[in-house]
Amino acid sequence: MKTVSRLIRSPEGLAGLILLALPIAAAIFANVLFPADPLSIAGPALVPPFSDPAFPLGTDRLGRDVLAGLVHGARASLAVGLAAALVALAIGSLVGTVAGLAGGLADEVLMRVVEAFQIVPGLLLALAFVSVLGASLPVVVLAIALGAWTGPARLARAEVLSIRERDYVASARVIGMHPAEIAFREVLPNALPPVLALSSVIVAGAVLIEAALSFLGLGDPNTVTWGAMIAEGRNVLRSAPYLSIIPGIGLVITVLGVYFFAEGLNNALAVRGIRS
Amino acid sequence: MSSIPVLLIVIVGTFFLLELAPGDAVDAYLVTIGGGDPALVQALRESYGLDQSALVRLWVYLTSLAHLDLGWSVQFGRPIRDLILERLPNTMWLMGAALALSFTLGSLLGIIAGARPGSVFDRFFSIGSLALYAVPSFWLGLVLIIIFAVQLRWLPTSGIETIASGKTGLARAIDITRHLVLPVSALGLIYLALFLRMMRAGMAETWRQDFVLAARAKGLARRRIVLRHVARNALLPLVTMLGLQAAAMLGGSVVIESVFAIPGFGRLAQEAVAGRDAPLLIGIIIVSAVLVLIINLLVDIAYALLDPRVGASEGRA
Amino acid sequence: MTVHDLSRRLLLKGSTFLFASTVMPKIAFAQAPGGRLVVAADSEPKNLNPAIVASNGVFFISSKIVEPLAEASYDGPEGLAPRLAVSWEGSDDGLFATFWLREGVTWHDGQPFTSADVAFSALQVWKPLQNLGRLVFANLEAVDTPDEHTAIFRFSKPTPFQLIRNALPAVTAVIPKHVFADETDIATSPKNNQLIGTGPFKFAEYRPGEYYRLVRNEDYWGEGLPKLDEIIYRVLPDRAAAAGALEAEEIQLAAFSQVPLSDLARISKVDGIVVYTKGYEALTYQLVVEINHRRKELADLKVRQAIAHAIDKDFVVNTIFLGYATASTGIVPKNAPEFYDPSVPTYDFNVETANALLDEAGYSRDANGTRFSLKLLPAPYFSETRQFGDYLRQALAKIGIDAQIVNNDSAAHQKAVYTDHDFDLAVAPPVFRGDPAISTTILVRSGIPAGVPFSNQGGFQNGKLDALIDKANTTVDTAERTELFKQFQRLVAETLPLINVAEWGFVTVARSNVKNVSNNPRWAVSNWADTEV
Repeated sequence: MKTVSRLIRSPEGLAGLILLALPIAAAIFANVLFPADPLSIAGPALVPPFSDPAFPLGTDRLGRDVLAGLVHGARASLAVGLAAALVALAIGSLVGTVAGLAGGLADEVLMRVVEAFQIVPGLLLALAFVSVLGASLPVVVLAIALGAWTGPARLARAEVLSIRERDYVASARVIGMHPAEIAFREVLPNALPPVLALSSVIVAGAVLIEAALSFLGLGDPNTVTWGAMIAEGRNVLRSAPYLSIIPGIGLVITVLGVYFFAEGLNNALAVRGIRS
Repeated sequence: MSSIPVLLIVIVGTFFLLELAPGDAVDAYLVTIGGGDPALVQALRESYGLDQSALVRLWVYLTSLAHLDLGWSVQFGRPIRDLILERLPNTMWLMGAALALSFTLGSLLGIIAGARPGSVFDRFFSIGSLALYAVPSFWLGLVLIIIFAVQLRWLPTSGIETIASGKTGLARAIDITRHLVLPVSALGLIYLALFLRMMRAGMAETWRQDFVLAARAKGLARRRIVLRHVARNALLPLVTMLGLQAAAMLGGSVVIESVFAIPGFGRLAQEAVAGRDAPLLIGIIIVSAVLVLIINLLVDIAYALLDPRVGASEGRA
Repeated sequence: MTVHDLSRRLLLKGSTFLFASTVMPKIAFAQAPGGRLVVAADSEPKNLNPAIVASNGVFFISSKIVEPLAEASYDGPEGLAPRLAVSWEGSDDGLFATFWLREGVTWHDGQPFTSADVAFSALQVWKPLQNLGRLVFANLEAVDTPDEHTAIFRFSKPTPFQLIRNALPAVTAVIPKHVFADETDIATSPKNNQLIGTGPFKFAEYRPGEYYRLVRNEDYWGEGLPKLDEIIYRVLPDRAAAAGALEAEEIQLAAFSQVPLSDLARISKVDGIVVYTKGYEALTYQLVVEINHRRKELADLKVRQAIAHAIDKDFVVNTIFLGYATASTGIVPKNAPEFYDPSVPTYDFNVETANALLDEAGYSRDANGTRFSLKLLPAPYFSETRQFGDYLRQALAKIGIDAQIVNNDSAAHQKAVYTDHDFDLAVAPPVFRGDPAISTTILVRSGIPAGVPFSNQGGFQNGKLDALIDKANTTVDTAERTELFKQFQRLVAETLPLINVAEWGFVTVARSNVKNVSNNPRWAVSNWADTEV
């Protein structure tokens, strides 16, 4: 709770929360505000923004409501970002913790795998992965996570290595705790904070990679995401620039918000770390 | 030597990933020719060796790779080594220049921002660079083309050089530079934020360290402290970051090369995936891995040069 | 060695390597009055030989180098203009076809063009290797060459001359015997990408990922032709790039709708830029909903009729194609007046009728208003096929059919639809190539093995329709054969093996100084001998 109050009191944290409030609210209330399928054709095509009260932000190439897309897109984009970060963190901290605790051959093998994933450009991997398994949101999430889990893995391993030599782990070993129990009860919680700080970068990156995949024609066609909206808007960039600018603003606000939030969180956690 | 098992993991992993893919090189090819009958399809599969099992093909590939032969591209009908050597320089120019741009501009602005945290400068650059970071690279690229190439006509819209211009020497170097300005900006400006923020954070940290406090206590000029002590120390993690970003930029070039029609590595990779050309994609990934390794080696050397406390041998660890 | 030394050496080595590997073609150009035409190319065909690969992507470049026996024409007799053949005639029994060839034509390497080249191309390449020729020349037995300028095609079974004549522009690119005869495997020969032909332009250079360069053939048979000195195909993979390059005057022409339709209204107002909608009449693309008849719901004619009624063709034409298309009535497009029959049964846009048909078929709505769910696979080749996929999903939702779109890349789409049959509905863009027998009947004929792209892989089977197709294939009399194809169209419209939605030609955008653009029905893939800048 203290962390939260510290977060709100830091200027970055507050700015982050304010910026994020809008997309998060949009994501939560998307179905209430626009109960219809945001992909449905609602009116004439290419209505410019602020010209028709029925479509405050205009319509796209097929006559779909841009505002509805923006609101529903917030939901999908945030979901993709959070899910990819969660998956990457889960895989990464698991592999890193196991490698750090086990040491020896297991560590060696796992770290080679980590390196293998690190030297393959993430977007390239995502591109190949989505082409192979087909473009759907879960596949896109997994593809993004595959390119992002190595950072958390390395960090987790390094933390574990430094923590495992500390007193409380040594004493846990002395009292005969199972290595796995040590890992999950003692080491992991302590290694987690810096790993969590990395997550903001992953969330922001995930939203952008999703956009790049949509640009390359590999987005999920059954869901609206901001990335897909921007990618679709680029074909009419000259005659209807608003189609890519509006979701772009959403993206900028979200990424900025996530960054500020993370910085605030970082600071709050750092203070806590020093005090404890 | 330790990178060989890593490469092996990458090769086998990529091979089986593409093996899982629906459709093979012949399917991809049939689309481009607008159809064919079953006998033709069968003949094509045989002539490419696609009628053999995956393990046989993997073995054939690995043995030829052991002889440093990257194999034959089904899609382009040419040796993969030639294809890669042809495209590699373009991507290296693009990536190298973009890395240099984001690194120098990023650290420079980072120093300015970090020298007076909380100032207008600091706020403007920190937020501005983040906003750039939040822009998808393809969109930034398209907008740059419209403004600087189509409207103002200052720079060419796309390509790596003026086609069949016959330019040589300096004229050609200038021509290539002009073509690279927009793609390098589109790629480099996006990563600017990473370096800027890291520099700024590093400087904030260094300000609090003892030797800086000592220098401040001694009453040294602020500018001198900033450049001599704070910035120099804050630069070190940035150098490491440079190595880490190399792989990411290689990935980012896939999109930028597509937008700017640059015949580089990223586009070749995209074509390899679309054409289900597994040996080509693996070749590209091997070479990009080696490229990333080389960049990291250079980074380590730079690290050693910047930080006298680290010996060359430690720096590589 | 100190670290400093090492890094400098590495850098030096690196830079020499960089310079060494980007050696530039050192060519100086004499800028004669003919001038250079720079056009946008969105793909780089793997095999450039039009005698082997009869596709528009290949023709776009190779048709300037290698010529067919005849080309499509707006005003020529039978819609044809002579090229390497000056006249032609089919025998009444359909067993012979005679071509009288142009005299005084030489190949780009100086050798004379003779009937032996035609015989070689027909027997060694068109019939055994070419994707379309395998069908048209299936019964070709021999080519007699009584003299150097006469080629007589002999068929083992009656082959309608109407079909051969209609296929001439697309399937009869003649390649030199003396170049290819000694190749062990013509299909994979490197000479396919170093083409030698008789056309107005010679192949000069290919820089992968950058450009193709063709230069003027000084010894071209056409008097005073070609008008250009040089054609450069600049590779621009991103479709948004062509418009900008045109406006910046870096390219002078973009064909095949490389400038997106949505940008045409704007770009047509730019000074010095002209939009051409003509010149694709013989390359009509059709927007088709492919149906998997293995799904029990879709095997029901009433359901297929309901889907046909649910599609607002006007919306498709006006919003997706922005008016650059025509609503289809049936499987033969309006651009083929020889065969087109407007009197087929049609399905007007009527959601109520569609819903009534589905109720009648016994598929009632559940609590969510859904009757049943389908998997919809739009072909990824054009942005319009994808957009139509998005539209179709919405149109089907209105009649209670829940369609989930599956986005695949080309290879995966190919495999899913034409090999694995893993689809319920698919959106396809087949091409009508002048005669229904070339690439249209295959869309509905049963018994085609899995794996053949752009063919009936939906499991549709109708004995009457198959019999009609087979009969037309051996009917020599033109009027009788045409009548058979009219019956064919009616039967397709009645039984709905697939749904034809719209048909479109592409759009060419050029700088206004480019002259003689779009002056024949296959202009983009014709030889451009009279094009000027």
